[in-house]
Amino acid sequence: MIEMIDGYPKYMRESIKKVEETRQDRVDKLPKPMSMSERKKILNKFHPDFDPKGKRKVRTGPNKGDIVPNEVADLLEAYPSIAPKDIDLSNIDYDVDVLVIGGGMAGTVAALWALKEGIKKDKILITTKLRHGDSNSIKAQGGIQCADREEDSPAMHYLDVIGGGHFANKPELARALVTDAPKILDWHEDLGVMYDRDNGKYLELSGGGTSRFRLHSAKDYTGLEIMRVLRDESINQGIEVIEFASAIELLLDDGGKVAGALLYNMETEEYSIARAKSTILATGGFGRLHIQSYPTTNHYGATADGLVMAYRAGANFVDMDTVQYHPTGAAYPEQIVGQLITEKVRGLGGQPVNKDGKQFVFPLEPRDVEAAAIIRECTERNKGVKSPTGMVGIWLDTPIIEIIHGKGAVKENLHAIYRMYERFDIDVTKDPILVFPTLHYQNGGVEIDVNAATSVAGLFAAGEVEGGVHGKNRLMGNSLLDCNVFGLRAGISAAKHAKKTKLGKLTLQHVEKYTKNLEKNKIKPKMRSPMLLPEYREEDVLARRLRLST
Amino acid sequence: MAETEKITIYAMGKAYKVPAGLTIMSALEYAGYQYIRGCGCRSGYCGGCATIYRREGDYKLYTDLACQTPAEDGMYLVQLPFVPANKSIYDLDKIEPMETTLVEHYPEIVKCVSCNTCTKACPQDLDVMYFIQAAKIGDFKEVAELSFDCIQCGLCAVRCPADIAHYHVAQLARRIYGKFINEKVEQLTKRLNEIEKGVYDKELNKLMKMNKAMLEKAYKKRKIEGTK
Amino acid sequence: MEIAYYPGCTLRTSAKNFESSSIAVADHLGITFKELSQWNCCGTVYSLASDDLMKHLAPVRVLIRAQEDNKENGLDNKLVTLCSMCYNTVKMANHLVKNDEEKLDTINQFMDEEPDYEADVNVLHFLQLLDEIGIDRIKENTKKSLEVLNLACYYGCYLLRPEEASIDEEPEAPSIMERIMEAAGARTIDYPFKNECCGSYLTVTEKKYTAERTYKIISSVVNRGADAIVLSCPLCAFNLDRRQKQAKELHANMKSIPIFYFPQLLGLAFGINSNELGFNMHYVDPRPLLKEKRLIKR
Repeated sequence: MIEMIDGYPKYMRESIKKVEETRQDRVDKLPKPMSMSERKKILNKFHPDFDPKGKRKVRTGPNKGDIVPNEVADLLEAYPSIAPKDIDLSNIDYDVDVLVIGGGMAGTVAALWALKEGIKKDKILITTKLRHGDSNSIKAQGGIQCADREEDSPAMHYLDVIGGGHFANKPELARALVTDAPKILDWHEDLGVMYDRDNGKYLELSGGGTSRFRLHSAKDYTGLEIMRVLRDESINQGIEVIEFASAIELLLDDGGKVAGALLYNMETEEYSIARAKSTILATGGFGRLHIQSYPTTNHYGATADGLVMAYRAGANFVDMDTVQYHPTGAAYPEQIVGQLITEKVRGLGGQPVNKDGKQFVFPLEPRDVEAAAIIRECTERNKGVKSPTGMVGIWLDTPIIEIIHGKGAVKENLHAIYRMYERFDIDVTKDPILVFPTLHYQNGGVEIDVNAATSVAGLFAAGEVEGGVHGKNRLMGNSLLDCNVFGLRAGISAAKHAKKTKLGKLTLQHVEKYTKNLEKNKIKPKMRSPMLLPEYREEDVLARRLRLST
Repeated sequence: MAETEKITIYAMGKAYKVPAGLTIMSALEYAGYQYIRGCGCRSGYCGGCATIYRREGDYKLYTDLACQTPAEDGMYLVQLPFVPANKSIYDLDKIEPMETTLVEHYPEIVKCVSCNTCTKACPQDLDVMYFIQAAKIGDFKEVAELSFDCIQCGLCAVRCPADIAHYHVAQLARRIYGKFINEKVEQLTKRLNEIEKGVYDKELNKLMKMNKAMLEKAYKKRKIEGTK
Repeated sequence: MEIAYYPGCTLRTSAKNFESSSIAVADHLGITFKELSQWNCCGTVYSLASDDLMKHLAPVRVLIRAQEDNKENGLDNKLVTLCSMCYNTVKMANHLVKNDEEKLDTINQFMDEEPDYEADVNVLHFLQLLDEIGIDRIKENTKKSLEVLNLACYYGCYLLRPEEASIDEEPEAPSIMERIMEAAGARTIDYPFKNECCGSYLTVTEKKYTAERTYKIISSVVNRGADAIVLSCPLCAFNLDRRQKQAKELHANMKSIPIFYFPQLLGLAFGINSNELGFNMHYVDPRPLLKEKRLIKR
């Protein structure tokens, strides 16, 4: 049994002691921010996104020749899980106007707006791999951006979004994002979402890379609050949701339009056919691919299934070359590895220090630079601290916040963090916490236009699965906004499209064609996709697993 | 590092040896289970991994989230795949916030005997029983505040002797509070009107036409609020 | 003959001879015990405890809150209630655990998340508190005497029954409310129904029955010259006020009178703004009477 002292194993206490010894001297002393050339150098050498070994050219499909993370390329170059000849497309199980794939925030918003746009409730279907609401959205803590103050404007918000995205964003998408924001908040208010107030006005905070205070939050549970209200409303409206039913391939009609999806009952392993005049992809991101073996802030189902399906149906991607890593994810205790430690900790004066209690980076570098510096400390310099389960991280000195801002400052400003560690007997007002960068967000995705339409007729996309809105890097508070703005637009567009669409005969020929292309490009069948669930079973167990045939 | 210490957990009664220091969730995965149900955000926000367990030699049933609770030696574990609790269907626009509104939608709340089992079952340590008491008397604000951190895992509902679905009651109360009682903020309506009138179109058109160099220049020139 | 028979647990465990001997005797007399096709424990473990402890959790939890708050705030260990029904429930639960250590222990063990209840809180109804504070204080504070009002004080059940809960030393001939109202100058009448039931929850299922009770009570006090009834229980108030409608339908000649909650009238006497006293919430509007008696402005 490892001897534990107030939440930490005894051996980690030795390093914590060094952090304590240097603390007082560090209060007013910070390392210099890096110059542009230093930044470039450290990024190139240490940031996972700049590691050429982490990415490669995808060898098939609409984006053939474009650089994507290896794990994404693997999925795109994988062979389909089904053989189209095994599927009977003549037996339609669900025949709807609008099919929404994904029951997170973007999907739920889309379904509600398709309904508002005049599609009957029994002609809308949400299908989701896990439960309705299981998503990255529900765990969004920070907030949602909306430029509604006198001192702020949609134009300022726009410039922040574009600059944050390294000027790669599609301008019309960024514009839609910022100009729809007040409409979204107004809608949420009408549905009863409880945004924080301060003296009769909204309480608005700043986020990394924003030039104005415009982050609207609902305590530390903004995503949860919005999601549970939307889900409640969707149930009240009578929209059907099939849970634990993953879409595994899109269906096309003989005219080449997307015409629904092949669904897979995760429990009975049956397939079913959902025919739809419009299909909305709202399947979220790819965090559970653990790009470059990083832990992630993402939910269990974030396995990029939507990307795979859309790609096989002919939809193209944008900005799939960048991945957002948050510099500070929890590295200990094991139970919360990868979970987000908000940037606010450093905003309040929390300092990253190494195992000797020494500072090694200015605490408020841009996310990518900060992350690279932490990685350097843990790898090349070998100044990280190893957890009992083998995670290496550096200390984020939280008690120093109470020296700077006075007693009680941590509990007052970082209650969620305080509570999260309290569960494991760690008092963050007294002890530092171990952190390491964590995989956070899929910046790019399926390309859409302002109407949330993809390059394939009948297919719309909203939320983390789509790309172009955030360019190469998303700002805090813009993902919840994205889910709502493009969910709304996808819902309306899908409804309009459904009203004027006649479907032809259903087909899975695109899947066959995709397989032939893989063969033609001499890609060997190594794995199959979509992935559906990440694999966390022990190798010993998997090695001895039998699949009995009957 | 030394050989990791092993503990024994019982998944639905079946013994498995797993390394110490895992969550209940990762311990079961280690043992060879792949979740379909009973696993969601893996961070304590979605309520998808509600777990009931007992410790060896202890008659009591405990409840918590599998993704946030350390696995202990001798734990008898089962996860709730689903909670079939009743949810009232309503049109929020037609609801009038009265003392009796919540009782009308959820009459079973008057059967609460204040046994507090719900509170003990709550993995978020919320005062569940007291927000049900507040719901009985139509105190929307109190329900909204006490229940705000509810992740709707349903553990309260499965343990309640009066068959109350606490988390659904709280959801309705919060929506009523948010829509009808929370202060209205004028600046949002003002901004909506401005956008509708096209007040910002000219500026946005200009920004959209800029090339990268011009944008970079404008971006660097931004004044960051809250800095000198 | 054959007869349905319920054995129970003990006769199958520690008292098997009770069963065997009984069956033998019965058999001798030509009686066949026909055991129930399925049966469960009679529940003796719980029913012997005369009360289902579950239902006492709520009031005892209230008492624990009082005990703890009083400690924290340095107050006398007392708790006052305004509603007769709450008073009775909390008082009786208190009585139960004060006099039964075993039950208190069981309840404390069940509520292991709470501090133990020490059974020391003194539960009072507001009328008792007023009586304790003293008639003189009420007299001192009375700016506008209620002498123009002739009142019938109505106690109903919960302030008086059972005896252990009674707020008056004489549950069969109470006078505490009269003392208090008279201190504010009012005149009171004596009448036979003041400690009789108002019909209680029958008001839900047997409206007519409650309406008849209301008719009886109101006619009785009107005949004795009362202008109004004053009481303390919200359910009594509902029945005596609201049910006057149905009573009138049954007895067209019945005279309507207003029903007051006792602090409403004390408030008038003390000169408190009548808007705070809620005279707008009655079924039988008391304002015409109060105007006529010049207790509120015309």
